[in-house]
Amino acid sequence: MSDTAQLVVEGLRASVEGKEILNGVDLVVPAGEIHALMGPNGSGKSTLAYTLMGHPSYAVTGGSASFAGTDLLPLAADERARLGVFLCFQYPTSIPGVSVVNFLRAALKAQGREMPAREFLRTLSAVMRELNIDESFRSRYINDGFSGGEKKRMEILQLALLRPRLAILDETDSGLDVDALRTVAEGVGKVAGPDMGLLVITHYPRILEYLRPDVVHVLHRGRVVVSGGHDLARRIESDGYDPILGAGTAGTAARNETKGAL
Amino acid sequence: MATQLQTPGAIGPEAVTTRVESACAWLAARRRAAWEAYTALPMPDRTNEDYRRTDVSALRPDEFVADPGETGHGAGLLATLREMRERIAPEAAFVAATRNGVRACEGTDPLLAQGVLVSSLEEAAERDEEAVRRALAHVPVDGSKFTSLWNALWRGGVFVHVPAGIEARVPVIAAYSAAGEQAAVFPATVVVLEANASLTLVELQVSPAAQGTMLSDSVTVLHLGEGARLDYCLLQRWSAATWHLATHRAVLERDSRLRFFAATFGSRLQKAYWDALLEGPGADATLTGVCFGGGDQHLDHQSLQAHMAPSTHSDLLLKVAVRDRAQSVYGGLISVDRVAQKTDGYVQNRNLMLSRGAKASGIPMLEIQANDVRCSHGVTAGHIDDDQRFYAHSRGIEPEAADRMIVRGFMQDALDRCPHEGFAEFVGGVLDEVVAGHSAAGVEAEAPA
Ligand SMILES: Nc1ncnc2c1ncn2[C@@H]1O[C@H](COP(=O)(O)OP(=O)(O)O)[C@@H](O)[C@H]1O
Ligand SMILES: [Mg+2]
Repeated sequence: MSDTAQLVVEGLRASVEGKEILNGVDLVVPAGEIHALMGPNGSGKSTLAYTLMGHPSYAVTGGSASFAGTDLLPLAADERARLGVFLCFQYPTSIPGVSVVNFLRAALKAQGREMPAREFLRTLSAVMRELNIDESFRSRYINDGFSGGEKKRMEILQLALLRPRLAILDETDSGLDVDALRTVAEGVGKVAGPDMGLLVITHYPRILEYLRPDVVHVLHRGRVVVSGGHDLARRIESDGYDPILGAGTAGTAARNETKGAL
Repeated sequence: MATQLQTPGAIGPEAVTTRVESACAWLAARRRAAWEAYTALPMPDRTNEDYRRTDVSALRPDEFVADPGETGHGAGLLATLREMRERIAPEAAFVAATRNGVRACEGTDPLLAQGVLVSSLEEAAERDEEAVRRALAHVPVDGSKFTSLWNALWRGGVFVHVPAGIEARVPVIAAYSAAGEQAAVFPATVVVLEANASLTLVELQVSPAAQGTMLSDSVTVLHLGEGARLDYCLLQRWSAATWHLATHRAVLERDSRLRFFAATFGSRLQKAYWDALLEGPGADATLTGVCFGGGDQHLDHQSLQAHMAPSTHSDLLLKVAVRDRAQSVYGGLISVDRVAQKTDGYVQNRNLMLSRGAKASGIPMLEIQANDVRCSHGVTAGHIDDDQRFYAHSRGIEPEAADRMIVRGFMQDALDRCPHEGFAEFVGGVLDEVVAGHSAAGVEAEAPA
């Protein structure tokens, strides 16, 4: 088991600024599978994503997380990335003065995947065309002054070039118009394959219609409270979280929170 | 103090006499008056507004040698400067000045053929007296302690005079270097552009990295006639043991345009004035600086954007990164005269502090007497952004490499404003080395055999 590239999260607890956000997350994402993670706003989805990526502000207070048999928790973010973990940021950071090309080359080099300049540029052009990103973005500074949609596409561009073994997409579909969503979803679909596990955090079933997840999880108050098939996402779309959360762990407060979120 | 032994060739009356004797009458008179003013003026201390945050009390000019013997460094330094020219602008005319005067004047033919005068300033003081006097009038002999000293003691120097309507075909590189223990050097660059003339001038100031204490007292005068266009680039790489006192004074007549770009890496202490005097309507000055300090360097930039006529425009951006125990001090004034309506004036100073012990501060000021103007200023000082770090780390980039990339990126918007591509590339290369941990105070130069 240990050599298959699967993500195993058990009883993961994490806090930020002393506040416990993850309260024992259990989750397994095997290689080749697409898992969706849904849940009301503030349920801890981004916190889980950051914690798995190794963001220094998120302190793990219990449980475990491993990928491909390697304990992730002692590793720094860059080490996790080199192990094959990738995060599509909900709000990608800009780094003024660092061009897209230089950033990508630095990332590829760090991951031991340096390409000759011409091959790199050819590959880059091809992916940019697929994602409908103008060539001029090559020399733009990464995410600097990009629109929301441009940033999301830039994340998928990186996903496509870096070809990780586990990709966590944090609301990559939020804020995209219908066409951009299709472009992005198709981009992700193309990258996905038997060697990659995908954890797609989303509010909307639309992207899941493209990606057809194997499993849908619902996170609530820092725990995975329900898991099911693709139809779970459709149920959430038509009925909201209430019927799902109301039955189990969710109280009234959670229901209010949920209504607000949807 | 009274009985202290004088260093041979030290800054003092004898050094002045030597220069007075070899100068034409008007210049000799200037030097004498300047020396008098210099001796009468006190050393600036903290009661002097300009020196409140920069302490020169340990500087003793009379311990520095104005007229040295040969040090043997000359050839090595000249080779280093020539190499820089090759990389920045191989086609450029090249004037290299050392402490004893001009050592090389090469590649000036294309300019001379256009009627552009390129020579040592000393020579020009006789051959082109009117223009030189006009330009030097911008640096009065009694203006300040260090400009007075400069007026008394500069030597050699570089002078470029572009006649009306002429677009200089190739850039000019004015290169200054010095070496030797307790050496004093007085870089002197004067550029006069007549109406609608244009020129690119690159000034290099370097000394070997491994040198002992030195003094650089430098003046650059840029005079832009009506409609003239000047691109000016400066590289300051004095050794980390050099005191560097500099005045850059640009005077802009009607509709002229200056793009001023300076890269500061060297010296133990720098006090640099960047003055842009926008005297004519429509004049436009863009001033940009990149500055990287480390070790115990203290780097002071003080700018003046003086809007003296209507519809003038100025825009200054100074990007500073400091590490170790280095300190950066910036002060900038935008002044707008009553007549200078429809003026735009901007100042931005962005500082990045890379070590606990490093400090950077900026104090911008506005003095506005006109009522229809747009002026703004902004100063920030901070550390490397943790979100930027995490973003880079999340792509597998190692922490040190990520920091280097972010710091290098921080400088890029300033570098993008550099008016000369070759110079921008050169400075970019220096920045690459500096962010990788090297010091760019001083240069490699072959030591004397
Ligand atoms: N950096 C932070 N500082 C303080 N609170 C945070 C921080 N990040 C997240 N939180 C809190 O943690 C909870 C979960 O947030 P988040 O993981 O962003 O939820 P989701 O992505 O599911 O909307 C929220 O209550 C949020 O306010
Ligand atoms: Mg979120």
